[in-house]
Amino acid sequence: MPFLNAGEILHVDLTTGEIRTQPTRDYANRYLGGRAINAALMYDLVGPDTDPLGPENVLALGVGPLGATPYPGCSRIDVMARSPVTNLLGDSNMGGYWGAELKYAGYDHLVLRGRSAKPVYVWIHNDQVELRDATKLLGKTTHDTQQAILEELDNPNVKAFSIGPAGENEVTWADLHQGTCHAAARTGMGAVMGSKNVKAVAVRGTQAVGVADPDGLMQACLEAHAAIRGSEMYQEYSTVGTSWCEASYGRSGIECGGDGHEGPIADWDPHRDQAFDEFWAEYGIKRTGCMGCPVHCMETYYVPGIGSASMSCELYTQSSGELRQDLLRGIKLVKLCQEMGIDETSVSNVLQWLLVLKDMGIIDDSHLDGVPLAWGDVDSQVEFTKKIIHREGVGDVFAGGLLAAAKHLDAHTASGPRAGQSTYYYAMQVNNSPMYGINPRVKSMALAYAVGRRSDCISDLNMQDFDIMSVSAEYPGWTDEQRKDAAEFDAATAVYVSGEPRAADFDAIDGKAMIVHDMGRTVGMADMAGTCKQHMKWLYLDATPSHMAAAISAGLGKTVTSDDLMWASLQLRTLERAIECKWGRRREHDTIPEKEFDKLVSQGVFKGRSCTSREDLEAMKDEYYWLRGWDKGTGVPFGETLRDFGLDHVAEDLAQLGILPACADETARRQGIAKASTLGYVWPELVGRNNPGGNKAPWADEPEGSAAEAAEES
Amino acid sequence: MYRVVTVDIEKCTGCRSCEIACSLHNFGECNPARARIHVVKTQKEGVTTAVPVLCRQCADPLCVKMCPAEALSRNEETGAIVVAKERCLGCHTCVYVCPFGAPAVDPITGVCEKCTLCDGDPYCVRVCAKEALTFGDVFEEGPHRKRAGLEKYLEHLETVTES
Repeated sequence: MPFLNAGEILHVDLTTGEIRTQPTRDYANRYLGGRAINAALMYDLVGPDTDPLGPENVLALGVGPLGATPYPGCSRIDVMARSPVTNLLGDSNMGGYWGAELKYAGYDHLVLRGRSAKPVYVWIHNDQVELRDATKLLGKTTHDTQQAILEELDNPNVKAFSIGPAGENEVTWADLHQGTCHAAARTGMGAVMGSKNVKAVAVRGTQAVGVADPDGLMQACLEAHAAIRGSEMYQEYSTVGTSWCEASYGRSGIECGGDGHEGPIADWDPHRDQAFDEFWAEYGIKRTGCMGCPVHCMETYYVPGIGSASMSCELYTQSSGELRQDLLRGIKLVKLCQEMGIDETSVSNVLQWLLVLKDMGIIDDSHLDGVPLAWGDVDSQVEFTKKIIHREGVGDVFAGGLLAAAKHLDAHTASGPRAGQSTYYYAMQVNNSPMYGINPRVKSMALAYAVGRRSDCISDLNMQDFDIMSVSAEYPGWTDEQRKDAAEFDAATAVYVSGEPRAADFDAIDGKAMIVHDMGRTVGMADMAGTCKQHMKWLYLDATPSHMAAAISAGLGKTVTSDDLMWASLQLRTLERAIECKWGRRREHDTIPEKEFDKLVSQGVFKGRSCTSREDLEAMKDEYYWLRGWDKGTGVPFGETLRDFGLDHVAEDLAQLGILPACADETARRQGIAKASTLGYVWPELVGRNNPGGNKAPWADEPEGSAAEAAEES
Repeated sequence: MYRVVTVDIEKCTGCRSCEIACSLHNFGECNPARARIHVVKTQKEGVTTAVPVLCRQCADPLCVKMCPAEALSRNEETGAIVVAKERCLGCHTCVYVCPFGAPAVDPITGVCEKCTLCDGDPYCVRVCAKEALTFGDVFEEGPHRKRAGLEKYLEHLETVTES
């Protein structure tokens, strides 16, 4: 039995009904797992001309080597497909209980291809895999679908995720939902599954994930648990959750709240964090989390007349602050999105865009089929969202995405009020993907949005980036002394991570590329291992790559160091970038909405500050590409960089397509990657490490026979 | 005085860390289906309730009384009811008579597998971040709960008098 991996990749072809398996080892020798193997599958199976909603697109779900082990946060599932939102690499990450169950059933990855003639759901019971009729499930909410499947299979231990009506209707922002609150929400993965005529995937597994050194793994996991529970912020996250982040965004002015569009919010309340406590006291039921998680970052609420919903950071930001309403109203929209299976972030972003267009006199209710959409009026917001979900009237156009909606509005509005611009000009998007409620006017955010994987910022910037800009100094209830300490700590951190003395300067661009890169590679490690990025410094918790490396080493029975994990993370991001470049992404696609250049933060602590110019962004991008070993001219990875990470076949491919850039200055390229490989403050023992070089995955099995040969030689 | 694993269902979030840790420690593999503790979950209107179920190490255990092979007995050192595996028939009687369904016949070994309290240092308790599982003196647990109940009552009384 292969250690840590379940051992097989399950391929389901929905057109032919063919079900087959492939050894995970085919990929695991070259890639660590989870997101990395998903990316490799995408590279091998999806071409530049693939239609995201066509049968040839591939939906890959993967669990990493630490998934389903006692390592904290062992629940994560990485979901990849070509995205109907961006037409580039779609990627979303989901917690819950499904991923571990898949491994217990014997599979590390599930790959769905083709299109079923009739609606089906996939039922995986260890080695029994079948496609079952899902006609009865059509139109059901995500939650009801899963309940119905559990009843039909008469097994309460089955774990299922499903799409809702939004996914069935192939609404571009549709998502996958598991339980009531675990979602793979971004980049339209629900639309892809809907296009395959698959309503749900149910799994029950009763098999083992093998371990080379059980005591060693247990010890490593207990140490990681202890590190997390001993973190300074642990008590906050495990009792208050992440609701306070929203308050922190709000106070800093980093939250868009309409400001991301035009002008400040008149009745913006910087102290509304108090409301979270009151809301929790009034409607909170219990804390909720995923498999194997000591943190439990989500809150479950029950509101009479609305029902229950579970929320964490981004949902608070989007549903309330972004649409200028209190939590009690916001939760109604959250609940709708969770039941219907649509990304709440995208929905709020689109509603906000429409409200801004309305404020500017570009559109009126008649463009929205008479729905009186208004700030703070959740009923009108819900009404319009339902139109999108069910593709009713103008909602049918909106279901096709921001660009389609903008084209429609352009054709039906006078160009005067929009100064001849397309309505798309006012949309907060990167490559057509609706942005988070985090303002791109701040310099490092601008970079994170521009170069971020899947065209959003969340994997490449984080709490730490805000904190570097001293937002943590606004943590509710802190004394002046605490604020000062936090600001100083953050400044020191920024300098330490980037090696730039001005990195903590809110107005400077120095070192921002290294900070964004540093977070991207940390998140990459968690996504590959199948654990939760929130347990690492992404959310200021103290699980480190060293903990992860110790657990993987014990599990595999061979030494894997945190350096190896970093190598894997750099490999991952370069592979993802190469895929996107193959599909058409270039440097010019790495940007933020044009209207956001040269704008000041208009509210909060940083009011009147920043102002990212196009030159600033381009300069930061230059530095970022240099760190990554990508060509500054095109944004495509150099062949030398691809080969550094064992991606020779990718380099050959790109060369054949004529898009592989020539590297004029090998010394500079090596210096960039050497700097990118320097680990930051949480791993001081590794500071100063140089380019690991080499192109073989450090954990790869020896080729058969070589061990015997080595023995003979000795 | 025996110590047992006590459960506080109000604290349990249903994360199943205990199941994975139990299987890893006792079977050397990650496989909750073989674990000696199971988190039973129900969902009503979107709110999940989770109850960890494991051997209560009863004072007068039915499983011991009913075992036709007399394979079950108390380990006087740890207080745990343990199985003499060479005697176990795999007949499921202990599973049927246990009011909690806590023991299980393992599909691979074919004999009864039940909580042994990990020889006095249960791993389920070690990984439980919420302290929903604790390892304590079973006869002290009752008085603790009574006091907790009283405090809840006092809290309620305060809210009532305030309003």
